Amino acid sequence: MSSVKKCLVWDLDNTLWEGVLLEGSFRLRREVVETIAELDHRGILHSIASRGDEDLAMAALRENRLDGFFLVPQINWFAKSQNILTISKKLQISLDAIAFIDDEPFEREQVAYMLPSVLTIASEKAQELPDRAEFSPGEITREAEHRRHFYRAEIRRDLAEREYATREDFLLSCKMQLTVRPMTGDDIPRVLELMTRTHQLNTTGLIWDRTALVEAFHGRPGGTAVMVGELRDRFGWYGIIGTAIMDTMQSSWRLKYLAVSCRVMGRGIERAFLASLVHTALGRGNTSPEAEFRDTGKNRMMRALYQMMGFTATGETGDAGTLIFRARPDWLPDIPRWVEVL
Amino acid sequence: MEHHNGTVEATLAAYIRDECLSRNTTVDLAYGTNLFDAGIVDSAGLISFIAFIEKNFGLSIPDEDLLPENFVSITAIADYIRAHQQIGHELREEVSGLGS
Repeated sequence: MSSVKKCLVWDLDNTLWEGVLLEGSFRLRREVVETIAELDHRGILHSIASRGDEDLAMAALRENRLDGFFLVPQINWFAKSQNILTISKKLQISLDAIAFIDDEPFEREQVAYMLPSVLTIASEKAQELPDRAEFSPGEITREAEHRRHFYRAEIRRDLAEREYATREDFLLSCKMQLTVRPMTGDDIPRVLELMTRTHQLNTTGLIWDRTALVEAFHGRPGGTAVMVGELRDRFGWYGIIGTAIMDTMQSSWRLKYLAVSCRVMGRGIERAFLASLVHTALGRGNTSPEAEFRDTGKNRMMRALYQMMGFTATGETGDAGTLIFRARPDWLPDIPRWVEVL
Repeated sequence: MEHHNGTVEATLAAYIRDECLSRNTTVDLAYGTNLFDAGIVDSAGLISFIAFIEKNFGLSIPDEDLLPENFVSITAIADYIRAHQQIGHELREEVSGLGS
């Protein structure tokens, strides 16, 4: 069973194009350009590990309007395994989610030897890649189509942070706006994607299937509510970065599920999301909001989030063995000052 | 007193400077700063920080202790560490006392 790749790293000469750039003649391969565009549409990122002159190569890509597709290109004379490691670090994508395409058997062997978890591909296979399971992530969400831009925005954020003396000044400068709203039918694929891709900032690790989600979505009045959090800041749109499922059947209010994308970790977004939900519950007269938690071995940070936000374990358990937490009665959790909740 | 208690706080501040702050920052971190309100630590950062504290100070921090009063600032964390190192110390003494 092959796992889906998140990033494809390209060689240039005789792979992305025919010919050797430094020898003066090259011709783009049409089927390669089609593959690049198709994988990009599916949310798979592209990068470059190539020997050669960076300025020349980037100019050639720019002329052909391809430069925008490639994140953190590594064009130099280092070993390709070294360049792939750099790409992995810069994009924070694990090696087993990276594939490498090159025409030279030597380069593929070198990478396969040094980095055995990287998938290596011969360049004549470029055309077939969209048909392979490793490059077929399933249903395509708006967030997937946008993924390359998310990474670009993230690189700009990193650079911008250096201009600020404190983290708080930087976070305030980002002008983050979190919209918390009920899920719509169009959001379902993204909500399912968040449930399967999110492990750490996930309160139960339980994956709702589409049927259960659609049922919850159509819900009974005063029943289950599915909410999403959509984030933007001055650097761009993040898309839907969190989802929450609440049971509001009785006079009580219980958070059954909360997941927040690890892409926004370190910005207090999970605090803003939870605080906003709790404020709404309190505003509707539910004086002791409850929240469920299930230890998955990876999600201790969500237990910490609950407790740091004023929830305490009651010792009671819910369905599926979840632990039930209850908000301290006199406690109003704060929304971080740098997040505007809409 | 300040000097006597300085080492735990200094170790924690050094961790935060290295792991949680922008490398270019020139601002000194006050021990009383609310780490969450200042955007320095969040849920993910707290878990890494706790792993560091457990390893560095030989503590095992139970889930129930992950509370604002224990982790809101460097001062609060240092107090928590000292209190629990003390308990560990007394327990060890008690155990060795029972043995004699």
